[in-house]
Amino acid sequence: MNCTNCAFRTAPFAPLPQTPLLNRSPAGSLRPSCRNPRPLVLPKRSLLSSGRRSLRARSSAEDGSGGGVERWVERLPRGVLGADKVLRLIANATASPISQFVAAPTTFLHSVDPRIKLVWLLVLVVLPARSHIIMRFGLVLYLAFLSVWILPRHTWMDQLGRVTLLSGILFIMLGFGSDGVPPLVQSRTPPPAMVGLPNVPPSFEGYSYLIMKLGPLRFTRKGLSVASTAACLTFTIFQGASLCLTTTTPEQLASALKWYMLPFSYVGAPVAEIILTLLLSLRFINLVFDEVRNVALGIVSRRISWQKLTMMETIDVFISYIRRIFKNIFTHAEQISQAMIIRGFRGDSNKHKIYLRSTSSNGMADTVSLLCLMGIVGAAILSDYLIV
Amino acid sequence: MNLLAPLRPSPARPSSLIRSNPLSRPAHRKCELFSSAFLQTRRVLVSARDDFAIEARHVNFSVPTRQGAPVSILKDCSVSIPAGQLWMLLGPNGCGKSTLLKILAGLLAPTGGKVYVRRPRSFVFQNPDHQVVMPTVEADVAFGLGKSNLTQEEVRSKVFQALDAVGMSDYMQRPIQTLSGGQKQRVAIAGALAEACKVLLLDELTTFLDETDQIGVIKAVKNSLDKSEEVTALWVTHRLEELEYADGAIYMEDGKVISYGDPARITDFIKDKQAAYINDMNC
Repeated sequence: MNCTNCAFRTAPFAPLPQTPLLNRSPAGSLRPSCRNPRPLVLPKRSLLSSGRRSLRARSSAEDGSGGGVERWVERLPRGVLGADKVLRLIANATASPISQFVAAPTTFLHSVDPRIKLVWLLVLVVLPARSHIIMRFGLVLYLAFLSVWILPRHTWMDQLGRVTLLSGILFIMLGFGSDGVPPLVQSRTPPPAMVGLPNVPPSFEGYSYLIMKLGPLRFTRKGLSVASTAACLTFTIFQGASLCLTTTTPEQLASALKWYMLPFSYVGAPVAEIILTLLLSLRFINLVFDEVRNVALGIVSRRISWQKLTMMETIDVFISYIRRIFKNIFTHAEQISQAMIIRGFRGDSNKHKIYLRSTSSNGMADTVSLLCLMGIVGAAILSDYLIV
Repeated sequence: MNLLAPLRPSPARPSSLIRSNPLSRPAHRKCELFSSAFLQTRRVLVSARDDFAIEARHVNFSVPTRQGAPVSILKDCSVSIPAGQLWMLLGPNGCGKSTLLKILAGLLAPTGGKVYVRRPRSFVFQNPDHQVVMPTVEADVAFGLGKSNLTQEEVRSKVFQALDAVGMSDYMQRPIQTLSGGQKQRVAIAGALAEACKVLLLDELTTFLDETDQIGVIKAVKNSLDKSEEVTALWVTHRLEELEYADGAIYMEDGKVISYGDPARITDFIKDKQAAYINDMNC
């Protein structure tokens, strides 16, 4: 341990009378009153019991008051978010790959053409932002139902749980936050009473701008609109993408993207390079997750006594952790580039063909999917006219 | 036993006439290839290369330290491996086996000596995560075929055959990150087999495998050699039991080739060393 704050040197001396320099604690340890407040526990074969004492020389000055400002570190709460806990959290969070392809059981969505799935993803991004609130919540329910129907139980529970939590937090924060502060402080015009105008008459149909009041917080119609848009958009984007990734291989997605991007190649867009980069990224993401988890587990398995480390030493361990991750990732990148060279890749994506398996779609699934897509888009358009 | 047994005699020819690896050849030596001496003896060389798929003559490799002083990794290594055979390269950790293999693969340039390896050649890394570049099994095995002008059906057929040879044909659509270390290693080998290379350079393939998978992988490599007489494999390993499947073996120590030849002889040599080491420990 490299402590730079103060240096202790322990040396046996002949018996000395008790001095104020050594504050004897009840636990039998010697508590130095210097910047490092932790007691130095004596070994079982204590020097004191053998008639000798340890004398520690401090390099810092002491005001002699004991328990003063220099002991502030001791008062900091410990164990609230320990370094060990943080590393374990990191290791656990990166243990389950995010939205990886689930090959079995093969479902209806596995058979849908990936190009149609990409159109679906686009629609799920646009519709919640542009359609009626009922349509937004309808889309959320539709996606949730589809996930439960299509995916294995543990997969949909994991995915829906995370996305619902995130969307829920967004909904509450934006619902109460977007219009929560009384507009008086923002208003640039005087209230109607000051200019002699009558107040706006109350609605006969029961309309009220304020939906709910929770103490100082107000849930208004504006808040509802903002919150529902943001939360539904978040839900549909995340869950739609998850659903797509779990039922489509990366190569199928790449082939669909390539199909859509092909016209851009006529104007000089490096489509082949983009597709290869996408595939390498999809492979590399998992390597990064593996490295983050492995190095975190490596540190946890060393069973470091974090309580004995100073703040600087703990930070030093975390910096070493990050440095190690980057080093390993760069090594991976170098090795993979070597592997690509040895496997015949010469840097020209147009000359090196990437085998993107032809889609395993069937006509019926595609037709049904397209019909559903058109139905939802139609309903969204009509909802603007029919629902006030 | 003579530890410094002479290397197996190679066909008589001047070592300077062996063509070096273009990747490792210094530019100023290119003219050597077209010298009159080379042209006169070219016919001899061609027949010699028909005998050996891999040749390294007096190969040296060193890396500079921060102070600039060179640290020698390989010291005057010479090996000649006949075509159509499976040879194994053994030795303690840090003796230079993987470095020699990378030089043969063209990934490193030797600081001295000559190297000749038949083409196309393929290299399989010790860690399959370094070898597998695509997100799913099928696409990764097909990656090496991208340089050939094959139809989708041909690619699919070759990929299936290669995966079948290593017992992974049921995993074609599986994402790589869902596979175990041994399964990834098999996918990496399938990638090398699918390319139908003339030379396979395999770096400690069985490190992550259990005994069953280990034998399965060796047999898969052996099968690919049996199918074509042109395929040659050099296999780096630490496991003595794998020598049973080898046609020849090389033992290295401290950057030098110490012993070279029949697998039984190498096995005896290593067992003698182990016995001597145990005796030293007990004394």
